[in-house]
This record gives sequence, C-alpha cells and structure tokens, in this order.
Amino acid sequence: MRAWGVVAALIGALALVAVWAPRAVAEGPIKVGFGMALTGGVAGNGKAALLAIQIWAEEVNKKGGLLGRKVELVYYDDQSKAATVPGIYTKLLDVDKVDLVVSGYGTNLIAPALPIVIERKLTFIGLFGLAVNEQFHYPHYFGIMPAGPSPKTDWSAGFFEIAGRQNPKPRTVALVGADAEYGQNALAGARENAKRHGLQVVYDKAYPPATVDFTPIVRAIQATNPDIVFVASYPPDSAGMLRAAHEVGLKPKLFGGGMVGLQYASLQTALGLMLEGVVNYDFWVPEPTLKFPGIEDFLKKYQERAKAAGVDPLGHYVPPWAYAYLQVLGQAVEATKSLDQQKIGEYIRTHEHDTLVGKIRFAPNGEWVKSRVLMVQFQNIENNSLKQFGEPGHRVVIYPDEWKSGTLIYPYAKAKR
Amino acid sequence: MRGRALLAVAVALVVLAVALTRLSANQYYYFAAYVIFQYVVLATAWNILGGYTGYVNFGSAGFFALGAYTAAILIKAFPVPFPVLLLAAGTVGGLLGLSLGYLTLRLRGVFFSIATLALAVVLQTLIVNWEYAGGSRGIYTMRPATVLFFDNYVEFLFVVMLILALGALATARWIEHSRLGRGLAAIRDNEEAAECMGVPTLRLKLVAATVSGALMGIAGAPFPYYVTYMEPASTFNLDYAVNSLAMPMIGGATTWVGPLLGAVLLGTAQQIATVTISSALNLLIVGVVLVAFVILAPDGIIGLVRRRRGGRHA
Repeated sequence: MRAWGVVAALIGALALVAVWAPRAVAEGPIKVGFGMALTGGVAGNGKAALLAIQIWAEEVNKKGGLLGRKVELVYYDDQSKAATVPGIYTKLLDVDKVDLVVSGYGTNLIAPALPIVIERKLTFIGLFGLAVNEQFHYPHYFGIMPAGPSPKTDWSAGFFEIAGRQNPKPRTVALVGADAEYGQNALAGARENAKRHGLQVVYDKAYPPATVDFTPIVRAIQATNPDIVFVASYPPDSAGMLRAAHEVGLKPKLFGGGMVGLQYASLQTALGLMLEGVVNYDFWVPEPTLKFPGIEDFLKKYQERAKAAGVDPLGHYVPPWAYAYLQVLGQAVEATKSLDQQKIGEYIRTHEHDTLVGKIRFAPNGEWVKSRVLMVQFQNIENNSLKQFGEPGHRVVIYPDEWKSGTLIYPYAKAKR
Repeated sequence: MRGRALLAVAVALVVLAVALTRLSANQYYYFAAYVIFQYVVLATAWNILGGYTGYVNFGSAGFFALGAYTAAILIKAFPVPFPVLLLAAGTVGGLLGLSLGYLTLRLRGVFFSIATLALAVVLQTLIVNWEYAGGSRGIYTMRPATVLFFDNYVEFLFVVMLILALGALATARWIEHSRLGRGLAAIRDNEEAAECMGVPTLRLKLVAATVSGALMGIAGAPFPYYVTYMEPASTFNLDYAVNSLAMPMIGGATTWVGPLLGAVLLGTAQQIATVTISSALNLLIVGVVLVAFVILAPDGIIGLVRRRRGGRHA
C-alpha cells in the first residue's frame, strides 16, 4: 500500500513539473546563449571573452538590437570542465529557450556541445577550437580562429616557412610540446611541416602537462644542437620553457612557434627582455598592417573595463575574436532577416564577413578559407612595461607576407640580449 | 514485504521515467538527472567498500574513467550493442577492484587510501600514453543517430542511468542484509576481532572491492555517449573521487539509503549551483557541507534521523 502512495506522490510531482515548465515567449529580446569558462583552468581567457561579448551586446542594443529586438545574453560557467557542457547547452535551449547559441572557449569545451547542436540542426560558431569539426563534418559549424582549412599543419606552417627562407637553410629541428590536446595536435602538424621543408627532426618529445622544471628538457634539446626549436606549450609552460632556455643558454637560429601565453599581457610583462627575438604565432597584434575598422574602438572600451573585470589588460588575443564571432552571427541574422538556423548557417557559409579582425570567409569544413596564423617576432623590447606591448613595433609580423610589418632578425642569438 | 514494496517503487520509477520521456521534450532535465543518477551509482559503489567495510577509496575517478574508456575504446573498435558496453566496463572495473584488493587490502587505514589514489594516477598515465585511446588528445564518440523506442539518445541514457542507479542500490541493499554485509560490518568495527571469530576477512574484502569496482566501471560506461569527447584530465577529474566519497559521508555511510540521500541532495545542489550562482562555489559547497557533517553529524543524515528518534545507532 505504501508503495502505491509513493507512486502517487511521484505522479503528482511530475504534474507539478509540467505546470511549472516555462513556456516559449514569442516576442521579446533575442536570447544568445553560451557556456563560458569563468572558473577553472582556462577562466582567464573565458572571462576576457565574456567581457568582449558583453561589449558586443551593449553596442548592438545601442543601435536598436537585432531585427528590432534587443539582445539578451544568457550564459553559465562551464568551470573549464567538458562534463558540464551538455547540461548547460540543453538548459539554454530547453529551459531558457535561447534563440542563438555560440560556443565557450577552447576545443575541450566546444566539442561536447556539438552533438546537441547537430541534433537540433543549429548554427554554431566556435571560439578557439582546434580542428573540432574534423570528427563531425557538420556544415553549419564555423571556427572563428583563423587557423585555416587544415588547422593542424597551418598552425605552424609560417614558422617553418620562415626557416625555409633563410640562407643557409636550417637543417635540423627540435620539436617539444605539452602532452595534452593542443600540444599533441600542434606537434603533429609541426612534424608534417618539418618533413615538407626537408628538416631533420633531432628531438621530438612531449612533456607531462604538470611539468614545472624545464631545465632538464632544455638541456636535452641543447645536447642535440638543433638549428631551430619549435615549442607547443601552454601558458605556464611557455614561461617556464623560456626561462629555462635563458638559464641554459639555448641559442638556436629560430625559437618559438606555438607557445600559448606569450600573447597575454601578463606573461609579456613578466618575461620582458627574455622575449626578445622569439618568433611565435599570434592572431592579431597592434601593427599598422592589421588596423581593421572598429578594432581600436573596441580595444579602448575593453581596456577601460579590463581591470574591473579582472582580465587581460590589453586583450589582444581572445577578446577581438569573441567580439567577432558574435559580429558574424549578428550580421547573418540581419542579412537573412530571420532566426531560422538553416538560413543563418547558409548565409555564413556562403558570404564574406566584415569584422573587426578583418574580412572572413569560411571553407566548407567551417574553418577560415585561408589561414591567417601570424608569425610575429618580439623586437625592441625595452623592459617590463605594459605600455610597449600595446604599441606597434614590438611584435612585428614576419609572416604571412600579406600582413608583414617588419623584417626578421636572424639568427635568434643576434636578437637575444 | 519491505523488499517487495521497494521493488514496486523501483519498477514504478522506471515506468514513470519512460513515461516522462514521452511527455516532456525538455532535454535539460534528463541531462541533469543523468548526472545525479550517475552519482547515485558512484556513491553507492564507494559505500560498499568505504562505508560497509571501512576502507576509504580515493581512486573512484580511476574506476569511473576506466569504465568510460573501456566503453569508448570498444565503441571505436567494433559496433557493439549498448549492454555489452555495460558488461565490459563492469568486468574491467571489477577485475581492477579485485587486483587492487589483492595488492593492497593487506594495508589498513590511510595506507590503503594512498594506494587507491596512486592507482588513479597510474591509470591516467596509461591512458595519456595510449594512442589508440586518444592519448592526451582525447577521444570522440559519436552518438548513434537513432535508438530503439526512444525519441533521442539523451532520453535513452537517462533511463539507462536510472536503471543502473536502482540496480546499484538493490545490490547494496542485498549486501547489507546478507551474511556478507554482516561480515563486512564486523571488519569495519574491528578487523582483528572479526578474523578471530572466523570471518574470512580477506575474502570478504576482495568481494567488496570487486563489486564496488564493477559498479563504478558500469557508472562510467555510458559516459562517452553523454559527453561525446573525453580527454584524460577531465575524465579522471578529482571531482568524481571527492563526490563519491562526500555523498555517502553526508547521507550516512552505513546503509544503502545514505549514498542515495547524499547523491540526490548534493548532486541536485551542484546542478542548481552550476546554472544559478555561478560556480567556483560548486566544489566549495561539497567541501563545506562535508566538513560540517564530519564534525556535527559523523553518521550523516541517516545518523541524525536515528538520533532524533532516540533509538538505535548505526
């Protein structure tokens, strides 16, 4: 008898849930939903991205919103944990009834949202995911990061291209990176590029992500005496690697390539002079060749609020792209005059988009049709001041030629002081 | 009679869950409930060794991840039906529990706990260096486009996890009321005395470790389909170990109801915290509640209730 009481109670509870379930509202603001890392490992980038997104929403609303409706952001902290992502996106779609979704920051947090997005045939733009769509081949996924149509190899293509142009041509290369998602993907691409340029790989090892002392690794690299050194490291390791290289006196002809973190103002000011001569990837730097309309205004707004938000003070790395991915989405909504996901996706796929990071056209796999991974060299670093990194002439674009803003100081030792 | 009533409730729950998937298209609740049920299984499994026997396992994340990776690798290798995944993950988890037991159950107290913690680290290192399992790059698992009887895969996973949770609870309840359970309780209270009284302590501990490991492995089996992309750092996350220990402690570690209560309360609180008060708070909630319970109510909620009733202690 008691059991049936419980059953009755459960059915009652179910009925209540049904009554309470929120209903869709036809008009009102256009809701844009996303999960973002506001705590955990990648929170630094996640919080900076959030600020950029908020600036976008404010600007759009000031101009009257999208399709005459205000834009409202609905977001949750994914804690930098993949396991929270499916829950967050279903909450956004089913409970909050958002009209549009975009991704959180980073490959690990984009991939778990994709099956939900694909199942519901939504348009989805990813923020800094490396080759996410390679597994899914979803036509309405787009990656805002300019890694190019074959992200893994395009990532380091510039670094090896620069090496290949020198005379005499470097003959040996050391490859080192973090034993984690990014490090392994970047190393795999670097291997292909090394082969393409006929470089002999004399060192090829991944270190565990928890490594703190890089001196033994750098010594081992030095023992192989490579002409160039390609490093695919995460932010704390990038600093550790560079410090160790200075301590040991590692002087290859070219050093850097895939070091994440050297784009952050916090690491730049911490490392200061040590950065001189390092050639590393970047997506946007304050060089005259990359002054796209809107970027300066945006950065000014961002920098004014960065301190209060506790995020990167310059915001050159993630924030412009976080602004741009919503810019693309917003432009598609306005152009198609609809919230129909198919139409929006089709528009994004077939048109060129004018954004504050430049003109973007997507390839069939959702990546940029042409890579714009820049190789920049740190030059004329004076001290540890923040100001210099906000100005041109300190991260000089060496590659691709289209955006070139200076000449390479080669070999590395010549620049290094 | 009580057992039959509980069975009726269990069957009713499953029927209700299936009915719910027919009624409501709101997937969020399935995802949220899935996580809570997953913790019911993990907490119950932990409790069989930790609560009944008194051997604290810090390696739950290792068992869970091993189950998840077993499933992911099988899915990658052959098109296996879902029940096979559960069976395989359970078998691997059980074998791991058994072998861990053989190696370490001679250790007592904190030494055993350290060994289990080390086990999780060893397993993670193994996966990181295993290219076929995705290594440190991670492994993708595509959900099947359709699934028999259900509208979509999430609903199916939700019902599967509910059944697993009920199965785990039934197993725990059965152990608790069997000779085995009494033997385990004797070990917990005083292992030497139990041995002297003729309780085959090592054998019982091995059974407990095997069952516990198998259940944790099973809890991990549907995970690849849930998250679709796994990489070692998040799959071996400390959260799983902390939660599966904290939940029984908070609910009450000496009965099967304790982990259920703990998992439902704490799991729900965490789910709500994730989408409301954003959530560095998440693990903090667990930590604070755990400390509070250890100090104020060492026997958990169940202990509190019993004390209120002024009756028997656990």
